[in-house]
Amino acid sequence: MNTVREVEIPTGSMKARGPEVAPVTSGRADVSFEVSLSMGSTANNITEENTRRTPGEEQDDSLDDGSDGETWVFYRERKEWADITPVPQDDGPHAVVKIAYTEAFSDVYDYLRAVVAKGELSERALYLTEDAINMNAANYTVWQYRRKILRHLGSELEQELNFCREMIEMNPKNYQVWHHRRVIVEWLGDGSKELKLTEIIFSQDAKNYHAWEHRQWALKTFKLYDGELDYVDRLLEEDVRNNSAWNQRHFTISQTTGFTKEVIQREVEYTKAAITKVVDNESPWSYLRGVVQHCEGGLASVGDLWEWCQKMYDEGQCSPHLLTFMLDLMEDRMERQPDLRPSLLKRCLEEADAVGYVISLPPSRGQQTVALEMAMNSDNFTGVLTYIINS
Amino acid sequence: MSGGEYPFLRARHVKYFRRCLQVLPFTSVTFDTSRMAVLYFALSGLDLLDGLSELDIKERQHIINWIYSLQILPGNDRDEQACAGFRGGTTLASCRGKSSCDAVSQLDCGHITMTYTALASLIILGDDLSRVERPAVMAHVAALQCPDGSFFSTRGGSENDMRFMYCAAAICYILQDFSAINTTSATKYILNSMSYEGAMGQGTHLEAHGGSSYCAIATLHLLGKLDSSLSRTQRERLVRWLVGRQSGGGLQGRPNKPPDTCYAFWIGATLQILGALDYLDTTALRQFVLSTQDPITGGLAKYPNSNPDGLHTYLGISGLSLLRKDDLKPVDPALNISQQALSHLHQLHKNISKNPTVPC
Repeated sequence: MNTVREVEIPTGSMKARGPEVAPVTSGRADVSFEVSLSMGSTANNITEENTRRTPGEEQDDSLDDGSDGETWVFYRERKEWADITPVPQDDGPHAVVKIAYTEAFSDVYDYLRAVVAKGELSERALYLTEDAINMNAANYTVWQYRRKILRHLGSELEQELNFCREMIEMNPKNYQVWHHRRVIVEWLGDGSKELKLTEIIFSQDAKNYHAWEHRQWALKTFKLYDGELDYVDRLLEEDVRNNSAWNQRHFTISQTTGFTKEVIQREVEYTKAAITKVVDNESPWSYLRGVVQHCEGGLASVGDLWEWCQKMYDEGQCSPHLLTFMLDLMEDRMERQPDLRPSLLKRCLEEADAVGYVISLPPSRGQQTVALEMAMNSDNFTGVLTYIINS
Repeated sequence: MSGGEYPFLRARHVKYFRRCLQVLPFTSVTFDTSRMAVLYFALSGLDLLDGLSELDIKERQHIINWIYSLQILPGNDRDEQACAGFRGGTTLASCRGKSSCDAVSQLDCGHITMTYTALASLIILGDDLSRVERPAVMAHVAALQCPDGSFFSTRGGSENDMRFMYCAAAICYILQDFSAINTTSATKYILNSMSYEGAMGQGTHLEAHGGSSYCAIATLHLLGKLDSSLSRTQRERLVRWLVGRQSGGGLQGRPNKPPDTCYAFWIGATLQILGALDYLDTTALRQFVLSTQDPITGGLAKYPNSNPDGLHTYLGISGLSLLRKDDLKPVDPALNISQQALSHLHQLHKNISKNPTVPC
């Protein structure tokens, strides 16, 4: 993604506004969920959607993009805000990690500070929070204030849901928008739109963690499990490697039928079919292990897994997931039939040796660690699997 | 990715962080409420790069003062103290003086991540934490714990998950006071987040994830409960999952996702805490992280040929430090500050007059 650019913003569309400072350092704040210790959003979209022109007012040239006539009017120039004295930000002397705010940004936030200090909870304040949010959707304080106003005004929450949906679609990896959505839905006591919302997000990014979290919450809170397994099926049909979908499968079953004997049987067959499609795919192998764990008889007691694995192995399949599973089966057996231990252990080591090599780590670990090193196809790197076998 | 060796561009990254300390471009406005965290990335990054000496005493003192200026100083009222801690930025700071009612106090609250990064930054700069309002900070942390054991980030209302659990544990460790949190329910939450994959998600039933696994394990470690909380099987499964995250040389956050520089720390540090870092192909990992450097501006991005940002730059470097192959100071995996800074902290602990509260 490119860094900064001056953009012309057509009416009604949402695009990033370029800064008025020369681009250099950190560029676009594209911080994904995975990394943030609550760092706010990706893809902050500064929008022109809320441009307002007061009739008869002079247009402000400094922000005129010249392309379509819609221009931004500073709050300090709006007659209806004349009663408010803006409060500048106080960074203190010798501030660090300063941000090169645009003039428009400072203007909006100066007025926000003023209404917050005043405790004003009006319609115009609500509108102001929208502008503030559009300029920085990660500012959780603004969202909190907005909720305060909504409660005070007894605002139309269905409309708020729409606003929230738009913000989510623009900032799908932003924590604040999802939290806001959850609160509004809680206030409404109506989760009927949440599945559709998350489906829309999944159509763009089927692994969006926030969306999965939100969906699970909605399913649990409003008991909407009907059809969820079918939905997971569809997602896995589109991408059998979607680990989030596999996780959702486990969640849905655990919250509905539970892992009964019949369900386990069914799920094992389902997963075996998925593995047969793409053997070298970690997700179904993890899921298989997870499902069978619910079984008292152990790994080998369901679905002829031993023979099934052996067949693939004999056919030359060397996916590390297959091999690890076979070692798991052997370890499981060793635990249940300790007298088989020596022969099985020997076999483990032989098979490991056949595909890679065996490293014995220092005995101070207290057990023999078998590390399998395998070349992973076209990627041309070595993935190290560790497998701990009691010796 | 080319097959060639990438050099470590130390000097460029020092410059990158020095710029972060000064001004970020407007495109970084999403960090407006987390400038404290960016400060921590820059300071800890400079520390690991052995570039902190480029800041003179006056500059350091200015930064220390700025950090303290973001501390919320409540009265003795317990409820007010719940809103204490450190801010991430100055958006609402100037409102306090202007407000006649308490409209502001509910909004201008400390944020748990900013409290952690503020304390970490102070330690890195050699401060003695004497200006930290300890009772208020502990009240703020205590007020943020949920019945299920997890933590919110701020009193004004937020989501709750594993990230803030870690921040709470780190704050308690730094201030050597675990009495404010219910460590039993916290541990329960962590164990409940272990999915069928054998690693932790952000909460119960959520997908196992490298970031949440780090937060979970580092928390248990800081609470002194790691060995007692995980069975041998659980530990082995977790190690296997973590090692399985290596893909294309780099580390991914979840299975079947592309590798991302920051996981060099999240996954690497978790493995380090579990004593299994050497199971990774550290050579390949290092090359991946180095391939995400921006040779012009300095800094590291999540992927090769992407834009760098403070977070990926710091975590990439911190991850490299774990591998001990580059000219970097060693980092402590649990607090994510240099070992040197950690030693300073331990010295402060020794100097505390009252006895530290032992984690229960």
